[in-house]
Amino acid sequence: MAATEAFVEADNAEAIITRIEHKSRTIDSLLKHSKPVESLQVRIPFLCHIFSTIKRVLIVIVVHIALMAIKDVGGLLSSLDPEYYDILMKYLYRGLSTGDRLTCDQCLHIHEKLTERAGLGCILRSLADTVNTV
Amino acid sequence: MANTLRLYLTCIRNTLEAAMCLQNFPCQEVERHNKPEVELKTSPELLLNPVLICRNEAEKCLIETSINSLRISLKVKQADELENILTKKFLRFLSMRAEAFQVLRRKPVQGYDISFLITNYHYEDMQKHKLIDFIVQFMEDIDKEISELKMSVNTRGRLVATEFLKQFI
Repeated sequence: MAATEAFVEADNAEAIITRIEHKSRTIDSLLKHSKPVESLQVRIPFLCHIFSTIKRVLIVIVVHIALMAIKDVGGLLSSLDPEYYDILMKYLYRGLSTGDRLTCDQCLHIHEKLTERAGLGCILRSLADTVNTV
Repeated sequence: MANTLRLYLTCIRNTLEAAMCLQNFPCQEVERHNKPEVELKTSPELLLNPVLICRNEAEKCLIETSINSLRISLKVKQADELENILTKKFLRFLSMRAEAFQVLRRKPVQGYDISFLITNYHYEDMQKHKLIDFIVQFMEDIDKEISELKMSVNTRGRLVATEFLKQFI
């Protein structure tokens, strides 16, 4: 479980907390000056951003736990739909970037098998997709 | 251990094979200039996602790609202070002779020991699989070189100490 916490980067968590505190002060000051509409305009997009960030982090943690639990890589890839290969590749590179030995060992193992199955195009699509990052 | 190294090098090889699709692309900002976009990073649409491949906490490889250039930065395993010094000296020696290597960067990227910069011109002049073989072979050989240097330093130190202390016997 300690390895999964590595996914929650310390810099991002601290930045999020700092932003929450700053936004809370902004919203409080707007409410004090009887500007509920303006406070909503600040609050809603900020909350959406926070929830999407938290959701992304949770998904990464859940995927990491699932990846570490895999014993039969060949069986996994046989049963996985080809449309999920690209998504799996993105999460593998995310896992490889953590630097944790166990995680990297597992991700390298799966990466080799996935590349054999899906080809180099899978790698290039995960590199080229700058919109849907994980 | 050997299996992890094999998997690590295979992953890097596959990633380089996929990422090394370079073409000539003149600078969008300055007329008649042609610059490696991976170094400038002024146009986000020309850059691909950077990829960090770690073998463990100490060894990692950063691959940054753009439309006309590719940068590979390596962090070599350094177990102790002596290896740290030897690695720094040896890689600095190589970096100062970067022109002879052509694809070597004079200064490594911050946080890494050595960096390679491959542009579309190198890609046109040299064969892609040979370039990738060179990078992977370099990664294999660098560990051996550092180990040999360390052994040589320890051997020389032992000989010198033995000769010096003989006078006190």
